[in-house]
Amino acid sequence: MNSKWLEQNTFHYSDFKDLKRLVEEKNKKNLKISLCLPTLNEEKTIAKEIIIMKSELMTRYPLLDEIVVVDSGSTDRTRKFAREFGADVYKADDIFPDLEKFRGKGENLWKAIYITQGDIIVYLDADIKNIHHRFAYGLIGPLLLFENIKFAKAFYDRPISIGRNKIRPTGGGRVTELVIRPLFSLFFPELTQLIQPLSGEYAGYREIFEQIPFPIGYGVETSMNIDIYKKWGLDVMAQVDLDRRIHSNQDTKALGRMSFVIMKTFINRKEKMGLIQLNEEMFDEMIQYNLVDDRYEPETLKLQGHERPPMIEIPEYRKKFGISDKRILKPV
Amino acid sequence: MEEYLKNLPDVVETIKSLKDLIITNIVLIGQIPAPTFKEKRRAKVFMERLAEFQVDECTTDGYRNPIGIIRGKSSGVKPPIFVVAHLDTFYEFYDRDLIFNYRIRKNSITGPGILDNSVGVAVMASLPVIVKELDLHFESDIVLAGTIQSIGKGNLRGVRHLLKTWPTPIRGGICLEGVELGRLNYYSDGMIRGEIECSISEEKGVMHKFTPNAILILNEVINEILNLRLSQRPRSRIVIGKMSGGANHGKIAYDGILGFEIRSDSYKMVKSIYSDIKDIVEGISHENEVELNLKTISNLRAARLKFNHPLVKSASSVLERLDIKPVSKSTESALSIFLSRKIPTLTLGITHGENYYMENATMEIEPMFKGIAQVIGVLKAIDSGVCDEQQMA
Repeated sequence: MNSKWLEQNTFHYSDFKDLKRLVEEKNKKNLKISLCLPTLNEEKTIAKEIIIMKSELMTRYPLLDEIVVVDSGSTDRTRKFAREFGADVYKADDIFPDLEKFRGKGENLWKAIYITQGDIIVYLDADIKNIHHRFAYGLIGPLLLFENIKFAKAFYDRPISIGRNKIRPTGGGRVTELVIRPLFSLFFPELTQLIQPLSGEYAGYREIFEQIPFPIGYGVETSMNIDIYKKWGLDVMAQVDLDRRIHSNQDTKALGRMSFVIMKTFINRKEKMGLIQLNEEMFDEMIQYNLVDDRYEPETLKLQGHERPPMIEIPEYRKKFGISDKRILKPV
Repeated sequence: MEEYLKNLPDVVETIKSLKDLIITNIVLIGQIPAPTFKEKRRAKVFMERLAEFQVDECTTDGYRNPIGIIRGKSSGVKPPIFVVAHLDTFYEFYDRDLIFNYRIRKNSITGPGILDNSVGVAVMASLPVIVKELDLHFESDIVLAGTIQSIGKGNLRGVRHLLKTWPTPIRGGICLEGVELGRLNYYSDGMIRGEIECSISEEKGVMHKFTPNAILILNEVINEILNLRLSQRPRSRIVIGKMSGGANHGKIAYDGILGFEIRSDSYKMVKSIYSDIKDIVEGISHENEVELNLKTISNLRAARLKFNHPLVKSASSVLERLDIKPVSKSTESALSIFLSRKIPTLTLGITHGENYYMENATMEIEPMFKGIAQVIGVLKAIDSGVCDEQQMA
């Protein structure tokens, strides 16, 4: 196991706070950088994220070239606010309208590869209450300053929100510690060095994102970690401590559903890679129970685990970006 | 100066072009809770922002008031001009990991403490960029100070220390408050804020034939205070502002606290009324055999600029040029500390808002740009010398 990775490829956002230097590197390499915010009913935080990123990383330091919101069909004013504050806003369903429609974060991330222009794409969740531009430049930094790094992932000390305006710390990362870390320990011990493999904020070069499949739901981070690791190795990856991230807590049942999808994605990946063999098909229903009066009633959620193919296989994409042959990033 | 007054509407437009940056500062600074005595986290963010804007000097004084300095052309020759905004907010809930969640709309921002005084601090933090964008150059150094320990029991300790220990004379000052745009405060009343605490030990309560009730005792104190004859000249008044006590509906209250404020044009009169209240407290304590304690929370001496002081006149012209109607009232804030040190100073409000002291305090974005332009106008006026000749009242 390459246990040096943790030491060598783990950074703190403050390592990259010289924004002038980052802009110089970006210009020297003639790169464009896109920020993508996948949304679903995020009217409480979306304006704040856009305005801070625009002010600090577009106006003051031209690090970002565009801010793109890909929305899953919000019923609140997310799209309106995002437009008012200057982001390019798309409804996920309007991108590749002829394809079957799915709803999920992974779907939005995948479609963002098509509609963004950047050589580097930064993905940030849109519900970050303590948003700060470090969330973007901290992830962009290693990509610009280290030739071998093509994908950077965030980790945090994560307090959890408890009310409308009050926030206090609790454990957080339960799915990571109870599901994903044990699985990584069993099958991909090197990946246990990722402090928070499920964090929703990451950035990478287009050549990376366009060549990996995207599960449409919760499994997207798990599959992304495994796919990048298997395809290019651990050394193209980095992780950055972004300090604190304050988000909304989820109840145990929701975390259960998340765990279900992650486990399914994980096992599917293993099987596709030929690393394990299942003797029978897995079920695709998550069954949970509620106590109604004095009876236990099952609540079933069907999670089919759809997955989008690598974007580079989509003809429209290849046409838009003038790709004649598959671009394959050589392992470093 | 006349020329500058003429150009003020253009200044508003330039400031508007920095809207994103100013709102960013409001969010980044305002979301950090800073109840009095716990301003450290907010002070750090304020300093970080000043450092990011490459202000000429960024430091803290001996009392940990964070300070940034925009160097003037005659730095060291002309005394500095101070801009201050208190860092602490009324909102007392605090946890090391708490942040407020500010919500931005097209023309408003909502969140606890935004009006008192996150917007004031954030505008001050934005001044280095605004000054640069407007291509302004001052003769004096502009000292930007976020003062700590201002509200309530803080008793303006931060600003008191700042001015007491500042090594040079000070040319003039501006105190920034979030609201209301149009306020032009140039005088402050004498003031004492006090608390009367009534406590009855449960054991002692049993010994009484008629168990005293802390709330009723405080009610007697209020009645006696209301019986005091207050002078018309100097104008004086007592505000009964706060009361709390008791445990639940069905139990006699064994404790209670009454908060009040005495104000007058004359600090001598304030002290005289305070002495009367002390007599009332001692009398009721003796008669009812209960423990009643009176303590001073904060105090201020009365101080003022003359109405026709050039600083007041110039500031009025600036406000009027921006179509802002000036409103003058007494204010009990950092202003009085400046004025009592004979430093010509004004308090200005930045914007309009509502729900001042609630979790959903809301500021309007659009009026803020005029609010900032008035600050720039008044800074220019002070720098042009309006405070240099005139003596204070």
